[in-house]
Amino acid sequence: MAMLHFLFDRTKQKRYLVVGTVILTAIAALSLLLGQYPIDFHTFIAYLNYKIYGIADIEIDTLALMDNIILEIRLPRILLAILVGAALATSGAVFQAMFVNPLVSPGILGVLAGASFGAACGMLISEQWYIVQALAFSFGFIAVGFAVLVGSIGTNSRSTVMLVLGGVISSSLFTSLLSIIKYAADPYSSLPAIVYWLMGSLSMAKLDEVLIVAIPILISIFGMIFMGKYFDLLSLGDEEAKSLGINVKLIRIVAIILATLASSLSVVMAGIIGWVGLIIPHIIRLAIGPSHRLLVPLSAIVGGAFLLLADAVSRLALSVEIPIGILTSLIGIPVFIMVLKNARAAWN
Amino acid sequence: MELKPIIEVKDLHFSYKKSQVLCGVDLRLFKGEVVSLLGPNGCGKSTLIKLILKLLHGNGEILLHEKSIEEYSHKEIASHIAYIPQYHHVPFGYSALEMVLMGRVSKLGIFASPSSHDHFIALEALKKVGILDLKDRIFGQLSGGQKQLVLFARAIAQGVDTFIMDEPVNGLDYGNQMRLLEFIYKLSHEGYTFLKTTHYPDHALLISSRTVVMNGGKIISDGQPGEVITVPMIQDVYGVNAEIITHDTHKRCMPIFR
Repeated sequence: MAMLHFLFDRTKQKRYLVVGTVILTAIAALSLLLGQYPIDFHTFIAYLNYKIYGIADIEIDTLALMDNIILEIRLPRILLAILVGAALATSGAVFQAMFVNPLVSPGILGVLAGASFGAACGMLISEQWYIVQALAFSFGFIAVGFAVLVGSIGTNSRSTVMLVLGGVISSSLFTSLLSIIKYAADPYSSLPAIVYWLMGSLSMAKLDEVLIVAIPILISIFGMIFMGKYFDLLSLGDEEAKSLGINVKLIRIVAIILATLASSLSVVMAGIIGWVGLIIPHIIRLAIGPSHRLLVPLSAIVGGAFLLLADAVSRLALSVEIPIGILTSLIGIPVFIMVLKNARAAWN
Repeated sequence: MELKPIIEVKDLHFSYKKSQVLCGVDLRLFKGEVVSLLGPNGCGKSTLIKLILKLLHGNGEILLHEKSIEEYSHKEIASHIAYIPQYHHVPFGYSALEMVLMGRVSKLGIFASPSSHDHFIALEALKKVGILDLKDRIFGQLSGGQKQLVLFARAIAQGVDTFIMDEPVNGLDYGNQMRLLEFIYKLSHEGYTFLKTTHYPDHALLISSRTVVMNGGKIISDGQPGEVITVPMIQDVYGVNAEIITHDTHKRCMPIFR
């Protein structure tokens, strides 16, 4: 591990971020071209030329087809995959720092379950997207609060295991509440929609919807990235963080709100996608060390790339599309077991 | 002109879950002093330190540069006082340099990262405590003495001249204890000010310019270490029979077993 733990200089930090972004862009470009209807590079360039410079070196039929495939289907899906992956991985890293607990994530703390319950409520009572989002966020926040409350019963010190148990309880509470909603939902229309959405899917996205939800998600992600240096201090414990001169209460509240907002909105857009928030920060911590100034932005980039890759696999590998939430679990579990094997080195 | 204290504590009371921990503590800390807080377990030493750092809230007055501590934010306190806690478990594997850089965070703007100047200061601090070669080692894997020195370097990187230390030599071997004390002694001659708790009367005799003895939530004596650390005091506070021996001008406390 010491080998991987590079000397911490700033140019190296920037290099990681630049390389990460380049790889992410490359994967995104590839996913734009690959699919059930592959697009060759020349057609794509001609299409771009037309869109950007108005050079009409492309047939009108091809143009309509390209518009359909790229703008209607692939672009929103790619953007959503990146956004959701980034949101989940960043929130995971931040929750882990906030609770000084490497075992928590939006999924484990119950945020995803709470947000899905809120979003399902929203879908039943209203068609307005902002009501669905607001309810998802509110219940996501309530769920994490409940997890912390249960986790602190009987102890006044912070306990890693108790908080995880609190999250398990909070998760199952909101999963049960969600079952009530499913039970009450119309079995011919809303029930299948809710069930399919919950399994995790990026395919229902429309470009304008993605762009709207991108704003709050990006604000949360960048907020969390800028708070990285404070997370380092918070992970030393409250007293030491205060003595080093930061406003612990304010930072904790803002961070939990941002992490909950990002992960709740990911649920609204793509259902429950587990494991990303847990494994991505772990892998980065193992590879380059725990400093949150680098961990948080890299989580965003690697999380986005991971979900994009997983989505590409789910689209390309089989003729039937596997819901992405199922796929991330299938990938996440063995990865996490491998990570656990090396985890001591990363935690201690 | 009368010298103004950096820290002044007046009639401080604090209770925790109905039990009185501090009852009427007065304390002053002046520039360049090394003040040792001596007293048995549970006498309120650590509580007093936490109150001064505004990590706890009690009744009474605590002034930092003649202004009530309540008027300071933690960021402002951190620009006057550095706290060196006992070394402890850190859940994530930060390197020594990263730990020291954390001392710079309160000086940064909201959106700023540590600059190359901050890195320079952190490296200088590591050099000053003599562990520059450990900068890339993982904090959690260092020995107790090395960890304590990293925390010391972090306090220096904080850019202040007043240090509050909680049992700085706890858990260190004899060599590391002596090196740390010598280091504190040296820094005090460069104008740094120290308030530290200790379990060892000898350490107070060795390096402090003033010794404050606490027992049962009260300060029972405050003065020159040689005058404060006496046979009756050791008997009273610790229940130990001891002799105070003098070699040249140095005094040492020697326990006597019967």
